[in-house]
Amino acid sequence: MGDKRVVMLGVGLVRFSRYPDKSAEDLGREAALAALEDAGIDFKDVEAGFYGRVERAVGGGMRTFGELGQHGIPVTNVELACASSSRGALLAADLIRGGLYDVCMVIGVEKMGRGMLGGGGEAGYQTQMGMFLLPGLYAMMAQRHMHLYGTKREHFAQVSVKAHRNGVLNPNAQYQKELTLEEVLNSRLIADPITLYQCCPTTDGASAVILCSEKYARQHTTRPVYLTAWAAGTPMYVPGESALAEGPTKVLADKVYDASGLRPEDVDVVQLHDAFSPGEVLGVEELGFCRPGEGGPFVWEGNTEINGKKPVNTDGGLLSRGHPMGATGGAMITEITRQLRGEAGPRQVKDARVGLLHNAGIGGINVMAFQV
Amino acid sequence: MTATQADEKPKRVVPLREGLFRIPKSPGEKPALIASRCPRCGEHFFPKRAICLACGQVGLEEAYLTGPGKIWTFTIARMTPPGSLIEAPYVVAQVELPERVIVTSVLSDCDVDSVRVDMPVELVLEKVKEDDEGNDVVAFKFKLMQ
Repeated sequence: MGDKRVVMLGVGLVRFSRYPDKSAEDLGREAALAALEDAGIDFKDVEAGFYGRVERAVGGGMRTFGELGQHGIPVTNVELACASSSRGALLAADLIRGGLYDVCMVIGVEKMGRGMLGGGGEAGYQTQMGMFLLPGLYAMMAQRHMHLYGTKREHFAQVSVKAHRNGVLNPNAQYQKELTLEEVLNSRLIADPITLYQCCPTTDGASAVILCSEKYARQHTTRPVYLTAWAAGTPMYVPGESALAEGPTKVLADKVYDASGLRPEDVDVVQLHDAFSPGEVLGVEELGFCRPGEGGPFVWEGNTEINGKKPVNTDGGLLSRGHPMGATGGAMITEITRQLRGEAGPRQVKDARVGLLHNAGIGGINVMAFQV
Repeated sequence: MTATQADEKPKRVVPLREGLFRIPKSPGEKPALIASRCPRCGEHFFPKRAICLACGQVGLEEAYLTGPGKIWTFTIARMTPPGSLIEAPYVVAQVELPERVIVTSVLSDCDVDSVRVDMPVELVLEKVKEDDEGNDVVAFKFKLMQ
């Protein structure tokens, strides 16, 4: 591939938590400084910025990047709900691979209130009819999966048990406390079969990732982590099928496998979108790690544990790491990058050389492959 | 206006949202969802849209879907979300109609724990609230067929 690969040069996070006394700009700045230090470069070396944030903030990207410096670079606000900052990274990668820039930075930020998310600006038909229920989408996917394949509630709940166990090993996770299967199953039912502890929390936090060209990377690191292939998409119309999913995950994963020459068996570490626990059961099928319908037993039998066949969300995922919507994509990229560098400490997957990321939001899905 | 005239103002039935469903005007008429039908390939869509997703035809005809249908999938909402007129527990379902359209809706009051995929359901209209003028505001739901 010569000089055309994209490198993840620097990553940084502000621990996902609640920050009533910090502004979005404060959080973004702190994450960005961590990423710049990790990359070993100055902000003045960044040539373009992308700002992942869901809450509409006119000029938000300009203000947050402006905290770091003001040398006139283009900064673009990217909103793709829970997949905003990974979409920002894809856009940056497109530009770097296309030869327009050598160095780009993506900052993802969110500050959220507590409680169930409401129906956006319009208190419209869906909201009044009780249909704007975010766990409801995943719950309906889970119910059909249970009907078609005999998947059990325990299978979904196990996703949360593993997520919280991994969160204990992650100093940047919002929740760092184990939960038992009974605690998960017995927590408040929100939308059957999803209980409270199978829902991601609301969170404040920020992430920052710095991408660069392969040429630039040679002067700045001896152990580059390459972003080798990526694909993005919106839901595809299929007559007689329900458009429950946020996008065509399997189609995108196949594109990424094709473009990178990788197969599902080659993937050592995974970040996938577990906003609600069924996301992981369905995700491992759609990403090709097991056959359709086998996702439940695949998770139940421990295959997605850190020491399992296909480690998923080694840092706790959305469920335990937390979910500041705009920042999550960048946090996924950060964990994969650290894993591939061998810097994941107690969460380290042995010999991790290939990482796969799947980040979903209302508006689309991003899939990315990383290699060393 | 005299007091007598004000008292005699008749109560109307109005839809929660215009353009989604047809309210029966005569006793024999069934409620129906207002859908789109492609004049070129025959595909149906609900809610209405302007362009066919199957063949790209611009300009679709109006069609009325009366059901019945069957449950494609569902969930039981155990927590009433913000702004909802409907109190938990209730069932949110995706209903498959014979025209290969899948409609998201709530089910009419039922034993929520008895609901299963593939159960047959019929289209109904139910009052969900009253407006400021005292009219009945109705929405469409699906009801388990016994």
